[in-house]
This record gives sequence, C-alpha cells and structure tokens, in this order.
Amino acid sequence: MKESFIRAHYLTRSFILLALAVYIYLLDRSDSLHYYIAPKMEIWVSLCPIPLSCIALSLLIQTVFRRGRSLCACDHPLSSSVVRNAAVYGIFTVPLLLGFLLPNQALGSAAALKKGMTLSGQYSTEQTLKEKFKSPDIYNEEFTELARLLYTEPVIQVNQDIYYETIGALDLFKKEFEGKPIRLSGFVYSDSSLDKRNAFALGRFLVLCCTADAAPFGVFIKPEEPVHFPKDTWIEIDGHIHVTQNQGKEILSINAAQIRKIKQPKTPYIYPSDDSVAKLTKELGQK
Amino acid sequence: MNSPSSFPKFTALLIPFSFFVVSVIIAAPSGLTLLNSEAAATFKNIFNGIFLEAIPFVLAGALLSSTLHLFIPEQMISRWIPKNPLAAILLACSIGIVFPICECGMIPLVRRLIQKGMPVYMAMVFILAGPILNPIVFGSTYTAFRTHPEIAYARMGLALLVSISIGFILYLILKESPLKHSSSKKHNASSYQHQHEHEHEHDHRQQKNRLTAVLIHTADELFGMGKYLILGCLFTAGIQTFIAQESLTAIGGHPLGAYAFMMGFSFVLSLCSTSDAFVASTFVHAFSPGSLLAFLVLGPMLDFKNFMMLLSAFRVKFVLFLMFFIVSLVFVFSFLGDLIIQHLN
Repeated sequence: MKESFIRAHYLTRSFILLALAVYIYLLDRSDSLHYYIAPKMEIWVSLCPIPLSCIALSLLIQTVFRRGRSLCACDHPLSSSVVRNAAVYGIFTVPLLLGFLLPNQALGSAAALKKGMTLSGQYSTEQTLKEKFKSPDIYNEEFTELARLLYTEPVIQVNQDIYYETIGALDLFKKEFEGKPIRLSGFVYSDSSLDKRNAFALGRFLVLCCTADAAPFGVFIKPEEPVHFPKDTWIEIDGHIHVTQNQGKEILSINAAQIRKIKQPKTPYIYPSDDSVAKLTKELGQK
Repeated sequence: MNSPSSFPKFTALLIPFSFFVVSVIIAAPSGLTLLNSEAAATFKNIFNGIFLEAIPFVLAGALLSSTLHLFIPEQMISRWIPKNPLAAILLACSIGIVFPICECGMIPLVRRLIQKGMPVYMAMVFILAGPILNPIVFGSTYTAFRTHPEIAYARMGLALLVSISIGFILYLILKESPLKHSSSKKHNASSYQHQHEHEHEHDHRQQKNRLTAVLIHTADELFGMGKYLILGCLFTAGIQTFIAQESLTAIGGHPLGAYAFMMGFSFVLSLCSTSDAFVASTFVHAFSPGSLLAFLVLGPMLDFKNFMMLLSAFRVKFVLFLMFFIVSLVFVFSFLGDLIIQHLN
C-alpha cells in the first residue's frame, strides 16, 4: 500500500477524532450532557475527550514525522477506493453534523407520544394484597416506608430526586392518600383520550442510562376549571389526590386547584434513586 | 479491497440504507421544515443519547484490545483455558460477574481474545452471557419489576441456559475461525499479509514508544467498528422517532404475536442491558411474562447495534448462524419459562 494513502487515512481520522473530542468537551462545558445521558454516566463521557485527543495527536504526529514502518494498518486493511472512503468517513461526520447543526433540547411530548405515555397505575391494590401472602419484598417495603413518611407531610412535596419513588408509593397506597394536598411539577402532555375528559397528564421522563431508554410516565391531572396550556409547557400544580378510573383501571389522579407556569428545571429528566427513604427522612429533618 | 469479503460487508449496509431511502422519501414533502421539527429534535436527542453512551465503552474496549494485541503474545491465553468444555463455558459465563462490561466494548476485545487463543465457543459465551449475568443487570431488573421479582431470577436463569447451549453447539460444530481477516483464512493476499504482520510484530517489539503504537491501533479499532455503531444508532433513533410504540403493541395481542413483537422490539431498540428492564416493565400488564423474558434475554444478546458490530469482526455467515440459534433458543426457553412461572403462581 502506498504511504501517501495511509497518511491521508491517518490525517482524516485524526481530524474526525479531534472534532469528536471538541464536541464532547463543548457539550460538557455548556452543561448539556444531561440532555442525553444519566448523571452516573456523565463522568465517563466527559472524560472521553482526553483519550480521543491523545489518539488524534499520535495519528497526527505519525503523519507529519512518519516514524518509519509504524505507519501500518495490517489489522484492518485500509481501502484505497475514494468512493468507499468518502462513504465510510462520511458516516463519522453524521454525529458531528447532528451535534453542531441542531440545538440541544430535552425530550418532550413528541417523544412521549411515540414511546407511549404510561399513566401511573402500575401498582394495583390487588397486587398489594397478594404481596401480603408472599415473603416480604424489600422494594414494596421501601414504598411502604416512604408512604408513611409522605403521609406526615401537611402538603406532599414531590421532590425531584425521589420523584419516581414518591409517585410509586402514592400509587401503591392511592386509596389511603385520597384527599391529601400535593404539589408537583412536570411538562404538559395530552392526547385525544385525555382531552375528552378535559384532563391532561403531567409528564416526566425516567432516564436510566441514556435517552434511548427514557420512559415517559405521567400523572393524570384534572383541573378544577378547564384550562389550556400548550404541550410541553412546564407547570407546577397544587391540588388534591383522588382515585379515578381510566381505561378500566384505577389510577392516581390529582384535582388541580392552582396551576402555575414555571421554567424548565435544570435537570428536566428524573432518575431512579438508590435510597429514597433516607433522602426524604433527611429532608423532613431539615424542615 | 478486491477480496470476495467486500461483498458481504456491502450487503450488511443494505438494511439501514433502504431504511434511510424510505424515510427520506416519506420526509421529502415536509422538506426543510423537517430540520426544525419536533421529530428532528427527538431524533437528535435519541441518537446522541445512544452514541455518547457507547463512546466510553467502545473506547475502553478498543484500548484494551490494542494493548492485548501489542503486549500479549499469540496463543498465550490458550494455556490458561480449562481443557474441559463445560468448565470453559461456565468460566466464560462468570467473567461477566467480575467485569460487568456493556456489549459495545466487548466485541473488539473478544475478537482479540480469539486471536490470542481463546476458543471461539468460549468467547461467544462471554459475549452472550456477560451483558446479562452480572450484579448490575440483576439489580436493575429486580428494581424495575418490583412486583414481579420472579422475572429477575428467570432472566438470569434463561440467559445462563441459552449461553451454555450455544456454547456447546459451537463447541461441537465450529471447525474454522469465524473471524474476518483471520490468518487461517486462505485468500490471495494471505501470504503477503502474514509476512507483513510478522514484520509488524517485530517492529513493535523494537519500538521504544509502544504507547503510540497502542493509540494508533486503537484508532484502527475505532474506525473499523465505529461505522457500524453509528449506523446502528441512526437506525434505532429512526425507529424510536418515527414509529409509535402503540401501533406495534397491537401485534402483541395474539399470544404468539407477543413473542414475535417483544423479540423484534428488543432487536430494533438496541438498549443497554442495565436499562432495558425499565422499558420492559411498562409492558407488564399487556404482555405475558414469557414474552417479557424473551425481550430481556434477546435484547442484550442480539440487537441491531451489536449485530452491526458483530459483522465488523466476524464473517456474515457466522453471524447469521449465531442469530438463528439465539432467536430460536430464546423463544423456546422463554416460552417454557412462562409455563413454569404461571404454574408457580
């Protein structure tokens, strides 16, 4: 293989890797990584520019100073067809183009519609009864403990850090919580079946690793007076907990007395928490 | 590339390419407005999510693989491997418990391990079992299925069964190396390449700056695999952006349709094994436990992203063969698992 070919390959690769390193670095600097990946993964992604730029630099140095025979690609034979190479390296510009041309934006109603919004109601009382006859389940114990703590609050504050667990606990004991005042926030999601009942859903995305696994889930909201907010508006709601019927299932619902527009929070997604009970205990202790 | 191996590589690109042509035709009327649309934002978001998430794993896999290549002599690993196939398979199943790596990082590593003397059947068991049989995945599955802990246990059991079965099948029938560009492959350029590789190996021994060599090999790995990774991400992001899950769930109404749907769904979604349980748990009311198990076991073993990446390392025939066995075994075992779970309840 001609040396000039190998050099052209190495130079292209070096530029692509450098551009990728710069892109990730800029995302990290502008605090935008959280739009795409969960906090526990952020640290690993934010470190990637270091090895990427090291690789790019060593490729560049090899190209410029071409230290003898180490300019070699025995492993993956390099292609000398121009069309083929343009196609292959073209693929690598796709993430860069997408990244630099389109704005960084959190997932919203459009994605929730395609992924399928889950209204709470995953935990029915039927299952709780069944659970009583089984060996104790640590996760339901966590929810039970959490529910006890939540019940002591005069107004239940649905905290960002334990959003998923709090809604789970309320959902599990929705009958016991009937009529309790609550405050929570999220984005407005609606579809035809919700519109028919003059209701909407307060949505959040639960993110585990990255946005590909983001699961939209929502709380059924019934405003006391008919209101209209454009979808994806971020709002905060004060209301009372009720149990309502939806598609033949009992679900958690909130009768909203007050609805306020708010700014999109700094972290729009929610993440599962390791120890929700400890977090809530600590928070209640501070009050 | 004038060897016949360039033909299958091209065919592998046909599916995503046709997908793009169709989506471009569908999107054409909306023209330029597409760039500002919600769909474009969602597409970018999901694509970036998978792509950024995969980068640390792919980088780590490529770096580790290059280090192995330059520092560990050929055939060295074969000395440490148990002679008994069952022991070797069980060993491969348990590597995941110690090193819980995501499948994106595994493929370059495994290819290198095979070159260094790890038997192919053992390497494949590692690829299949590693992403499922580890404490992190068990924990997240248990958390996602709070009310159905039996799913988490069944997932581990099924993954073990399928991996062991495939390990034995490969042990019995695989005779030649399934790697692309392997030295045992006899094509026109092989003698040249072989000699070349020897010189190369020799050079590295003499070279003082081994670090540079590792980095340059890492770039080789990244570009060899990266194009498949990006195509996989584009395809997955396209599916998640343009196809409503609800329209697909309708297929799941039929008891057998549910298996087909859940397996197809896990293939196209290409989720990480640590997070797919939460997606599966949203189907818990609509689908049978067996079909959920099929989703949870098939996805990490075989999905679009990792299928593309397997093609970057292995021959097409071998990958298709493997796919055939994985799908049929997962289907049969998860169906039996369903019967057992329903019996116990």
